[in-house]
Amino acid sequence: MTELFELSAPRSAQAHLVDSGGGLHLLVPDGSRLYDVDAAIYAQLDRLQRTGDEDQLRELLQRLGLDAPRYVDDAAPEEPPVRALSLAVAQKCNLGCTYCYAQGGSFGGPATSMELRTALASVDLLFGDVAAGERVNLSFLGGEPLMNRPVIHAATDRARTIAAERGVDVTFSITTNGTQLTADDGEFFEEHGFAVTVSLDGAGAVHDRLRPFRSGRGSFDRVIERVTPLLERQRRMQVSARVTVTPENLELKETLDAFVALGFHSVGFSPLLRSPNGNHELGSTELATMLDGMVSCGAEFERQVVAGERYPFANAVNAMREIHRGTHRPYPCGAGAGYLGVSASGELAACHRFVGDDDGALGDITDGVDRERQARWLRERHVHRQEPCRSCWARYMCGGGCHHEVIARGRPACDYIRGWLHWCLGAYARLTERRPDYFPAGS
Amino acid sequence: MSIEPKNVTAQLHHRATGNPPSTLPDAAISNCFPGLEFDFRNVWRRLFEGIEVHEANGFVVRAEGELQRLEGRYLVQVADTPVLLDVRGPAGTQEDASLGSTFIEWSNAIADVLRTSAGQLVPCQFLDPDTDPQAVETVELRIRPLFARSEVTDEQLPLIDEVMVQPGELTQSLCSPWQNDYRECGCYYWAASRPDYVNVESTEQGPSVGNNWMARQREPKQYEPDSPTNPRQISYEDLFRDWQGLLRFIVGGRDYD
Repeated sequence: MTELFELSAPRSAQAHLVDSGGGLHLLVPDGSRLYDVDAAIYAQLDRLQRTGDEDQLRELLQRLGLDAPRYVDDAAPEEPPVRALSLAVAQKCNLGCTYCYAQGGSFGGPATSMELRTALASVDLLFGDVAAGERVNLSFLGGEPLMNRPVIHAATDRARTIAAERGVDVTFSITTNGTQLTADDGEFFEEHGFAVTVSLDGAGAVHDRLRPFRSGRGSFDRVIERVTPLLERQRRMQVSARVTVTPENLELKETLDAFVALGFHSVGFSPLLRSPNGNHELGSTELATMLDGMVSCGAEFERQVVAGERYPFANAVNAMREIHRGTHRPYPCGAGAGYLGVSASGELAACHRFVGDDDGALGDITDGVDRERQARWLRERHVHRQEPCRSCWARYMCGGGCHHEVIARGRPACDYIRGWLHWCLGAYARLTERRPDYFPAGS
Repeated sequence: MSIEPKNVTAQLHHRATGNPPSTLPDAAISNCFPGLEFDFRNVWRRLFEGIEVHEANGFVVRAEGELQRLEGRYLVQVADTPVLLDVRGPAGTQEDASLGSTFIEWSNAIADVLRTSAGQLVPCQFLDPDTDPQAVETVELRIRPLFARSEVTDEQLPLIDEVMVQPGELTQSLCSPWQNDYRECGCYYWAASRPDYVNVESTEQGPSVGNNWMARQREPKQYEPDSPTNPRQISYEDLFRDWQGLLRFIVGGRDYD
């Protein structure tokens, strides 16, 4: 898929051109604005991009009426309120995935569980300054969070009670390896409308190789046995599959179709860019193969949407929604801003991945968010301070890449990310012509 | 040349031909006569080919060619519709007294003439105030259509013709609320944005007590009618110098500190 790498190469920070097959398009990164343009304009923009004359390009965009006050400035948000917390309720795991960022679930330390009072204090922190009508999210991660079920139940109950008292909308999520799911869990998640994410890296043996029990035995059959009853009863809860893509499981389309057939609410893929020991990290050749697979899944998604069918390929569904809205942001996610992780012992981290990591330490639940460290984090992580992001057309769609991966390994996947976004922009342009009803009006 | 906004942010950034968003009626927070965002009266200044009238009445400020003799006169009637009327009503002990002449606001007065006669010649009567008795002359003038037409399809566009109102004119003659008009427009004239009687409390005897919004001091609580010369009230000069320090926000009918 080197062709997509080439087509999506960063030629200008001000404009990116897409030929979708169904038309010619211009993305203005500031504001993530997408336009149809005629061949003459496309050719003019293309010529200026090739000569690298950014001043003339700016003038042309002005003449076309596409200049605008900046949508994204250099300022970092100041003391953003906490609106989402993930609790590492169990920093331990019964699986032995060799690539795990949490190093067997314990983040390199002793196996621990979150005490009840820590979880309840976290919930209180989450609701600290929330006003009626606002929305918060409480998620449970680990390790394997279901190894500390009583704390999940107690924290959920506490959150529901406070939310009801205060008129706050609370949503819940959990990320689990699926091996310990029970019928009671299904009932509990259904009752509280959980978004349940199950880590699955492929069907059968592929998954078993990547995600074995600590004994070495494969876990796939066990996960499917445990998750199937939940798939059947999902109404309010949504059970999704998350696939971590490594050099060992690059058959994306087969994996996607297998999980869609099982009845998952959605299926998403993430490339493994960084593991503590370097195991299974994707290199540029594998990322090219992965992009092939993503486009193959995306093409099927496009076919299904045109046919009016549901095809829950999460990466494409999310990309279409964000491109349609013109989502533009100076960060890849809310980590360290409105979203924080809480370790089993109550330290606040920039996200669930930074638990126990000084790079992302942001206070603790007793004294609250360390605003000084947070301000520094938000200032330094702003995409305008990242290289080579500042000159990349995809900077406000990508946000600079996962902080955890970037800090540890840099940005080895820019070509992959741009290639995927370039393809998605084209797919969006085609779908707006063929299935405009797929996109909500005005949102 | 073709460029079409595709996604939502591109569509929101798109600006249709015409006036800037700050002058659109749906963004207005108060009246438009003359208004805070735009002064719609300016639209009517060039309604008649060959002459230009004042936005607030039918005074002819400019005229072309042989119509120049109309400069300084007042337009008083368009077709069968008078735009300057004698007003009668109770005054003093009289139930039906003459209260003088008043100009009828353009949008109300001639909407129907515009609807039926755009592009046509209509008889217009002009009054010369310098003659005695005041002479009235009838001149046939052509009424301009309000809306522009597409140069491509010749269809009527939802766009006020630039001949009628040129760039910048809609925002001429605006109110300047902080510095002047809030002093001027008392007594609930601007109900939406201009408080009048604030900090009101009922008394056991029945009447209420409270403050004029323009009162410098809130004690004693006693309403005094608006008067720019009352030393106990904020004056024009005070507002010019320090409106932001003197005017108070009112929330729930009371001073918000």
